[in-house]
Amino acid sequence: MTIEVLRPGVVVPRAGILRRFRRAVLADPLALAGVAVIALLVVLAVLGPWIAPYPGQGAGESDVPARMLGPSFAHPFGTDGLGRDMLSRVIVGARPALVVSLLVVGLAMLIGVPLGALAGYRRGRLDALIMRVTDLFLAFPPLLLAMAIVAALGPGLDHAALALAISWWPWYARLARGTATSLRERPFIEAARSIGVGDATILRRHIVPNSITPLLVQATIDIGTVILAAGSLAFLGLGASPPTPDWGLMVAEGRAYVLDQWWLSTFPGLAIFVAVLAFNLVGDLLLDLLDPRGTK
Amino acid sequence: MTRFIARRLAGSAAVLLGLSLITFALARLVPSNPAAVYIGPKARPEDIARVAQELGLDRPLPIQYVTYMLDMLTGDWGTSIGTKRPVLEEIVGRLPATIELILAAMLLAVPAGILLGVLSARWQRRPPDLVVRVVSIVGVSLPAFWLGLLLQILFFRTLHLLPLTGRVDPDLRFTSPIVETTGLYLLDTALSGNWVAFRDVAWHLVLPALTLAAYPIGLIARMTRASMLEALGQDYVRAARAAGIGERLITYRLALKNALIPVTTVVGLTLAYSLTGTFFVEVVYNWPGLGTFTVKGLLNLDYPVVMGVTLFGAVGYVVINLAVDLAQSWLDPRTRVA
Repeated sequence: MTIEVLRPGVVVPRAGILRRFRRAVLADPLALAGVAVIALLVVLAVLGPWIAPYPGQGAGESDVPARMLGPSFAHPFGTDGLGRDMLSRVIVGARPALVVSLLVVGLAMLIGVPLGALAGYRRGRLDALIMRVTDLFLAFPPLLLAMAIVAALGPGLDHAALALAISWWPWYARLARGTATSLRERPFIEAARSIGVGDATILRRHIVPNSITPLLVQATIDIGTVILAAGSLAFLGLGASPPTPDWGLMVAEGRAYVLDQWWLSTFPGLAIFVAVLAFNLVGDLLLDLLDPRGTK
Repeated sequence: MTRFIARRLAGSAAVLLGLSLITFALARLVPSNPAAVYIGPKARPEDIARVAQELGLDRPLPIQYVTYMLDMLTGDWGTSIGTKRPVLEEIVGRLPATIELILAAMLLAVPAGILLGVLSARWQRRPPDLVVRVVSIVGVSLPAFWLGLLLQILFFRTLHLLPLTGRVDPDLRFTSPIVETTGLYLLDTALSGNWVAFRDVAWHLVLPALTLAAYPIGLIARMTRASMLEALGQDYVRAARAAGIGERLITYRLALKNALIPVTTVVGLTLAYSLTGTFFVEVVYNWPGLGTFTVKGLLNLDYPVVMGVTLFGAVGYVVINLAVDLAQSWLDPRTRVA
């Protein structure tokens, strides 16, 4: 499902990237909106329980007399079948959404980056082996492998996150391999090798730190895609279980009432959409900055 | 060209072999007790022991893998716990509904995406470009399951225009039954001249196809735009412009032809995406295809079904990628070296 991929092998100088990013964001209203939404998401994820009008209901407490109320001043997003304020549920849901996607991307990087860096640095048979395995994982249609893994492990938020990470790491392996391949010929690496620095140290001290910018950019872009993927798994019933305020799960729960209580699915789904959109808008700009000849 | 095809075929065969290793591992190694998983949640201990022996789980892993491969190759993909019928039969039976949906979505997405991309590139950094950029990025950000629900609210509940779910009105079974030959209802009804049913099938297809098409439209538009911009910057375009050839002719006759070559890759990619994208669309619209079947299998822990569909989808994905590669090498001989 990854739509935006940095081309492997693009080595980006770290210096000045933040300044260039700031200037570019200010010049592009769409990206600026994306940055604003991401900032809002982070604030909600950190302070959600204090911002939500009914924090208890956000976490799952019910208020049955107030069930199935349409959007009103007291409940802007309406209430659900247990009388819980949907606005609070959506706000409190920002934290699990962000935490899960950070976890998935972090785990995928943890598996993919060392393998990719090793493959690109050592080349030869080890490289061929690692990359063939990578290709195998990429040979599954997006999300299908994750679904099969969840089926093998059993549904649940932790299993869904693990399954997504297992199907995501090959992208990072590819990217890390590309940068490692181009870095290994650089004079400073050759110099390190010539004075007898070991491979492990070169990888840890020189290769990985110098490939970190494109990797972090890809990770930023991927967070949105993972929010969408995790939401999709949750919608099918393969992710979080009630009463977790999970956006995908909330859309699924509201589906049965979609014709009469349209707000139940509409607002949590809107939250997923806006979050993914924001990351994609910013990702677009980042790709453009790092690799002007790329897709845009 | 023959050598290229042979090499690509051999490569695909190797990938398929590797894929079977992964699905084998998922089926036999990940669950702590594969027999218990295979037989379903309500199994008694003696049943589990019997199934473990039947499946050969007491034998060494390499032998298990060889048996698994032989079963797959001879079409024995196991039996569904839910329907008690052979998994492969169930998959093949539900395939036409899914193929019809995917084809309809692609017929919508490919021309629309290419058109949007071309417009965007031709008016780069002007209002049409901005509009297309927004449309395409919205397209790739929309959760398909949510878009489906929104379209249902709008077109069924508010406008009373289109049917809510299903592939065909159940009453038609009595008034004008569909004669199935291909399983693609639009084609079947057209072939038998059953225009009442044709109209009904088409109405049922609109919303699911539109929902499934949103992501491909966005992706194809983005790729076409990038590819067009690159083509429009080439020397032959500048030469044509210098020679006084009109902008319209340059865009559609010269640049578009060359820009479309990379777009074939994206079309293949989105086709492959639709293999799983259709799962969500089918669930929302109660579409009687492979997706609803798989999701039901996932939720009921119908293990043979899940593993069967995973392998089937992976094989389909490999085949699509192979077809795209071959199409591209036919269109652009330069790619044959790779």
